[in-house]
Amino acid sequence: MWPDRRIIELFKTEFPIVLAPMAGVMDAELVIAAAQGGALGSLPCAMITAEKAREQINIVRQRVTAPINLNFFCHTPVAADPAREAGWKKHLEGYHAELGLDPGAPVSAANRAPFDAAMCAAVEELKPEVVSFHFGLPDQALLKRVKAAGCLVMGSATIVREAVWLEESGADIIIAQGAEAGGHRGMFLTENIAEQPGTFALVPQVVDAVKVPVIAAGGIADGRGIAAAFALGAAGVQIGTAYLRCPESKVIAPARVALAQAGDDSTVITNVMTGRPARGVANRVMREVGPISAHAPAFPHAATALGPLKVAAEKLGKVDFTNLWAGQAVRMGREMPAAELTRALAAAALARMSALGR
Amino acid sequence: MPIETSLTALLGVKHPILSAPMDTIAGARLAAAVSAAGGFGILGGGYGDKAWLERETAKAAAASVPFGIGFITWSLAKKPELLDIALDAKPRAIMLSFGDPKLFAPRIKSAGALLFCQVQTEDMARAALDAGADILIAQGTEAGGHGASRTTIDIVPAIVDLAAGRVPVVAAGGIADGRGLAAMMMLGASGVLLGTRFYASQECDGTEEAKKLICDASSGATARGVVFDLSRNNVWPAPFTVRSLINGHLRRWTGHEVELLQSMTAVAAEYAAAREARNFDIAAVFAGDAVSLIHDIPPAAEIVERIVSEADQVLLGRRNSSAALRA
Repeated sequence: MWPDRRIIELFKTEFPIVLAPMAGVMDAELVIAAAQGGALGSLPCAMITAEKAREQINIVRQRVTAPINLNFFCHTPVAADPAREAGWKKHLEGYHAELGLDPGAPVSAANRAPFDAAMCAAVEELKPEVVSFHFGLPDQALLKRVKAAGCLVMGSATIVREAVWLEESGADIIIAQGAEAGGHRGMFLTENIAEQPGTFALVPQVVDAVKVPVIAAGGIADGRGIAAAFALGAAGVQIGTAYLRCPESKVIAPARVALAQAGDDSTVITNVMTGRPARGVANRVMREVGPISAHAPAFPHAATALGPLKVAAEKLGKVDFTNLWAGQAVRMGREMPAAELTRALAAAALARMSALGR
Repeated sequence: MPIETSLTALLGVKHPILSAPMDTIAGARLAAAVSAAGGFGILGGGYGDKAWLERETAKAAAASVPFGIGFITWSLAKKPELLDIALDAKPRAIMLSFGDPKLFAPRIKSAGALLFCQVQTEDMARAALDAGADILIAQGTEAGGHGASRTTIDIVPAIVDLAAGRVPVVAAGGIADGRGLAAMMMLGASGVLLGTRFYASQECDGTEEAKKLICDASSGATARGVVFDLSRNNVWPAPFTVRSLINGHLRRWTGHEVELLQSMTAVAAEYAAAREARNFDIAAVFAGDAVSLIHDIPPAAEIVERIVSEADQVLLGRRNSSAALRA
């Protein structure tokens, strides 16, 4: 029996587990599998068009009756700075030479657009049960439309101040993202990574500071971690890294190998891949250029120059330029169908809680 | 209702709550109060000050409650005779942190004391088990004072798996309330060790100013680094850094550590004077990430009691937001 049923009642899922949205490495397949296992599946929409999002949701809706979460970024877009991008390209030119690429060849701009009116129209039409945002929330007009469409709104906080801001701005649920989490830091009121606590310290502080339910994220990848999060006052957990090696994810084969071989100290927070700090398994470019580089252009423009390098290296079976986003619990990832993994996680957490319960 | 674990059984105490051996501010008053309340108090032998150690061990021994004595291992190696003074006081345990325990383990065990080893990585845990550790303390980066980089939620289950039931594992770092105790038990720990929470207690020998700063600190108020060690002309071996409240001095020197090394003599003089004057905008208050969960300076017994009753509520499956607990 879950000690806190608020999230299950809000989402109408079997378990208070959210499959984290992992842009670029998953699509409807993983959402469906996690939903079949009883979790809330999240479809990452930050790197796809509204049209593609419609297509993906239709696939999910045809296969399962479960609720779905659509995830969007809401960073303030910064125009590309040609001088800075040229400098960044120059910084990376040794890699171009090594891979036989023309550094002067035109590249398509990195495609991480913030939530906008077109996406909002898609949300109103598709009515996902939940919409989650990274890097704050969209402006109030758009947020009102999302809520009027009947969607529950989730936002991510890396510090207590962000959690309070999210609640005051209308979030129904707060995701407390500890420093252990993989992928982009959801930070939006701070730029100081050192200020962002680990999950264990952050969750009880956020629980004390807000009235809405709190979902714990970061470093949680087994039943023990889920049970611990509930003890700290979380009403649910968001899990990403544990699902990366599921057969339904879109992680490419060499990246699966890198994830499987990762050790406890393999992940770092880097700004090299996109211009915003994110945690992942250290690859060659992160090690050699970063993990933090003052040369990296603003989000998402750092990714532009890396695009052709990534494609060329992946053809050679290398992940030197691939975003290997993963959290500190990367060693706990399992090669298991996502539905089965979801049920195993929930069962282990419940067993743990009842064994220690009194 | 007592929370019984392999730790309480081994130590013969009522509650799985240990007070950390905070260098010279965890004296006999604090250790005895924690032990009298059913937890287990550990004297902060720290770097090793002979006069302090003789005085506090005598007081602790006179209190007729079980207690432990903690040392910084690499510092104790420079004054090994202090271990004899410690063992003469018949402590239930000696706790070694930051360094290879092998050198001291036989002496400790032959004197009949338990060996507690605080570890921050799996390699350190293996070395501690090889040395004959009776209890492993897995310390996350959230901890106040010296520590390393891995977080509590990461290192605790890793050490629990490595210990594989051979010895109890105690969790440390970022824990200040019953939710933390319950969460650590969920991760497989048999108990918790708390520093900052007991710093802000009536019996701790820290200054009133420092205790008040801990109570007032909010989320994000601490940071880990080497600035305060350099400022004390006190160079620690890798990988250890120190977590403290962020103050003016830390802001001034963070990111300028090389410059600090170059002007160390002058800074060390200024720093020592500030410490003497209790100017905590320069002098450090070592504290962990749990500061934002700490708002008062109660007697240590009340801290133990609160943690136990809150953990009990959580383990009972009651809704565990603090609002629900207050209601």
